[in-house]
Amino acid sequence: MAFLPQECLVPLLTLLSNRMEVVAPILVEGVPVFASWSGQPLALKDNPLLPPQEFFLPQREVLFRYIQDCGRYSFEEAAGKARLIFGIRPCDLRALAVLDRIFGSDPMDQSYFDKRRSTVLVALNCNEPGEDCFCDRLGFGPECSEAVDLQLTEIDKGYLVETGSPAGILILKEHPEFFLETSQSHLLEKCEILGQAREAMNSCIARSLPGIKEAIKKADWNALGRLCLNCGSCTFVCPVCHCFTIQDLGVPDGERMRCRDTCLLSGFSRMAGGTNPRISRGDRMQNWYLDKFEYIPQRTGLLGCVGCGRCNRVCLAEMDRWSLEVKR
Amino acid sequence: MSEYIPRLAEIVDIDIESSNTYLISLKLLDDVDFGYKPGQFVMVSVFGLGECPISITSSPTRKTLQLCIRRAGKITNGIMDCRVGDVLGIRGPYGNGFPLQSMKKNIMIAGGGSGFATLRSLVNYIVDRRSAFGEVAVAYGARTRQDLYFMQEYKSWQQAGIEVGITVDIGDESWKGNVGLVTALIDKFRMSVGSAAICGPPVMINAVAKKLMDKGFDHSDIYVSMERHMKCGVGKCEHCMIGPYHACQDGPVFSYDKVKSVL
Repeated sequence: MAFLPQECLVPLLTLLSNRMEVVAPILVEGVPVFASWSGQPLALKDNPLLPPQEFFLPQREVLFRYIQDCGRYSFEEAAGKARLIFGIRPCDLRALAVLDRIFGSDPMDQSYFDKRRSTVLVALNCNEPGEDCFCDRLGFGPECSEAVDLQLTEIDKGYLVETGSPAGILILKEHPEFFLETSQSHLLEKCEILGQAREAMNSCIARSLPGIKEAIKKADWNALGRLCLNCGSCTFVCPVCHCFTIQDLGVPDGERMRCRDTCLLSGFSRMAGGTNPRISRGDRMQNWYLDKFEYIPQRTGLLGCVGCGRCNRVCLAEMDRWSLEVKR
Repeated sequence: MSEYIPRLAEIVDIDIESSNTYLISLKLLDDVDFGYKPGQFVMVSVFGLGECPISITSSPTRKTLQLCIRRAGKITNGIMDCRVGDVLGIRGPYGNGFPLQSMKKNIMIAGGGSGFATLRSLVNYIVDRRSAFGEVAVAYGARTRQDLYFMQEYKSWQQAGIEVGITVDIGDESWKGNVGLVTALIDKFRMSVGSAAICGPPVMINAVAKKLMDKGFDHSDIYVSMERHMKCGVGKCEHCMIGPYHACQDGPVFSYDKVKSVL
């Protein structure tokens, strides 16, 4: 544990960026996004709408290259790139834990874990939850519940830094000039700030796990299906959503690409010949909810929802994604 | 090495099963053993076009790996445009296959249309391990006589003591056999109660399962091979979800009681 004074954060990140790519929330056209950082002002107030999952499961990535020679093929894989993600929030960290279990189930997904293993995570606990946040109602947050290389909590005049892995300890050891010793008062301050954040989230009773499960049970999926615009926005901002498709690009040499997909689109489950087992929007919506609140928990032991509230923020049909009530 | 990198297989033979279906024999270019079970599938690559799931049509008791390919989309078209000597990519085998250990000795095999391709693996497996099984019957229906697969093998199945019934939806002058539904064939069989393996269109699966349950088969002894469009084959991409199950890992073979609600 250590104290990182406010003014030392940028110099520390600058030094680290000499060794590896540093990704941090910055403003791009006025919107906070996780992007490659090279000294831009950090945008740490709100969690960006697009989760940092993009760096582990990109919208498009090359799984391998195929190279043809006299009718035979050879393959080349890309190597993982050393990277540090600064400012990942407890909800998105939790989502990574879910993805780790899904992509780590036998057979393990090498492409995902290459990126996972070559990335150092520096998390930032949430002092002020966003208006749609409810991680605490799902039993974790607003501080990290998962092992993370470093976790930071903003306190008066700086950050309380807690280590969670050898990679995290190494950062403290290699750059002692930036860190000060912590005192008991720093820890108390952290507890107080995060306690207040919890209280802020507790105010919205409707978003509790039993409440959502009850809403899923009672939902009129046909009516909700008529409301849903089938745009897939909620799945593109969800840090747990991980549907993908695999496509080839190039003849005779080329790349086998993994591209993100979404189970809410009508063509997702369509088979050759045209049969589609989930043809109605209501069916697809129901499947999305059941996957997050029943199937993923059965498979991984963790909920498939992390309470980040992004789906509610982007829903073009302006549905209340947790009460699932159809307003007439 | 990434699970997504396929092994290379050369096409060594192509047989025409019907106007839009070929039986393709493959030889893996690495000499690593390719162990599989009846009912499993592979992901087949045509480099440049992509990958699609194809059930294994041959029996592991026989030497050659065979896939039955029906012209149905971009990739199957690509496979069917290949010639002997061309190279495809193969990943797998994936899926659970038929639970031969827990199935009863008496086995009813019922297939409809191209769904019969995966069942042929089981039929030939039983032919080659005949003494391990009891009464076995095969009921197979296709649209027309021209759509029937594996016609040259029916006799060898009968010679192995398997009751074989074939039917078509639409008969013509050249067809002297049964015309009608697969369920009508099952009525003619004298087989005692046992396990069943079904693959075909959902309507046919439900009709056959109902018929078998009327005859005393338990719904947990009726195994259904489900069709879904797998993309990864390894339980990650979510394309083949059937409720809580991934057809690519928990299936494609399910007992009827697990999947009847989605059929």
